[in-house]
Amino acid sequence: MNSIEEKLWNYIDGACPPEEQQAIEQLIATDEVYRNKYNELLQLNNEFAVMEIDEPPMAFTYNVMQTIRAEHGLQPSKSRIDGRIIWGIAAFFIITIAALLIYAFSTVNWSNATHVNNTIKIDTNKFTGVFSGVAGKGFLFLDVVLGLFLIDHYLLRRGMTKVQ
Amino acid sequence: MQSKLSDIELIQQTLGGNQSAYADLIKRHQRFVFTLALRFTKNREDAEEVAQDCFVKAYRSLSSFQQQSKFSTWLYSIVYTTAMTFLRKKRIDTSSIDDEETYLQLENKPGSFDENNVENKSRSYYLNQAIGQLLPDDAAIITMFYKGEQSLEEIAQVMGIEANTVKVKLFRARQRLKEKLERNLRHEVKELI
Repeated sequence: MNSIEEKLWNYIDGACPPEEQQAIEQLIATDEVYRNKYNELLQLNNEFAVMEIDEPPMAFTYNVMQTIRAEHGLQPSKSRIDGRIIWGIAAFFIITIAALLIYAFSTVNWSNATHVNNTIKIDTNKFTGVFSGVAGKGFLFLDVVLGLFLIDHYLLRRGMTKVQ
Repeated sequence: MQSKLSDIELIQQTLGGNQSAYADLIKRHQRFVFTLALRFTKNREDAEEVAQDCFVKAYRSLSSFQQQSKFSTWLYSIVYTTAMTFLRKKRIDTSSIDDEETYLQLENKPGSFDENNVENKSRSYYLNQAIGQLLPDDAAIITMFYKGEQSLEEIAQVMGIEANTVKVKLFRARQRLKEKLERNLRHEVKELI
């Protein structure tokens, strides 16, 4: 009996192979036991398909959004901090430090190095020129912006911790 | 119009920082997520807690959604995991649908149907009541299949099992539901006589 039901359910779900489907169609048409069972299961299937689903409380969406706001500081993790910004900042500092080191070591006269204190000679006049120009001001401005961004981020996180 | 956007479009907007897009996504899926949670918890308060937790978890990991499946399938797998964890915490055994003792305990749980008149109840009332008497796994499979627009393969993905196993479980769940529905209706008829 179970095997009949199982086959019929598969047939109703459209989950049986074409040959089996044809065979079942034949059985439904010719065999009364099959036909009756099929009609019974089909009626049941229709009832299951129209069953009601429950409604959550009215404030459900609001409550979820409130929890999210409290936990995540208004935005999902991906949009809160774009990874490319972090990598960009890191790359900027790494390149700057690397460039300074390369420049410093390239100016060293290694053949005359008799004392450790005299091995690295950096012409500070060149740097003074750079930092007093537009590029230097731009660099300082960028530093200030990054500093403000970090302070804002820190204060926001602190605020969220207090809320929780 | 926000409501006409697809799930994927709403997700992209959410990831772009538009929170109201996520609120739209919640409104779209909350009824089913709540119902699915209710199939496990069997009471509205716990179901609300589980459903709320699911949406918060989904929000947290929205950026990791690979779009290899439907958003609903991904969301229901969160519901399934969260609900199972919740039940484990509540020390309710849901490990096997063949656990006869648990099955009988739930089967013999008194219902509220004998307090009301059968004339006031629709057939869907009895159906919901019978679903409420099923084991969580059975109730969840039936709900996902009929109301969640999930295929056997998608249900398998949600539950982390093989599609063939889902097929067998669905068959058994339907049989049990049918038995319970008939039993409840017979009981009602007896009450009336």
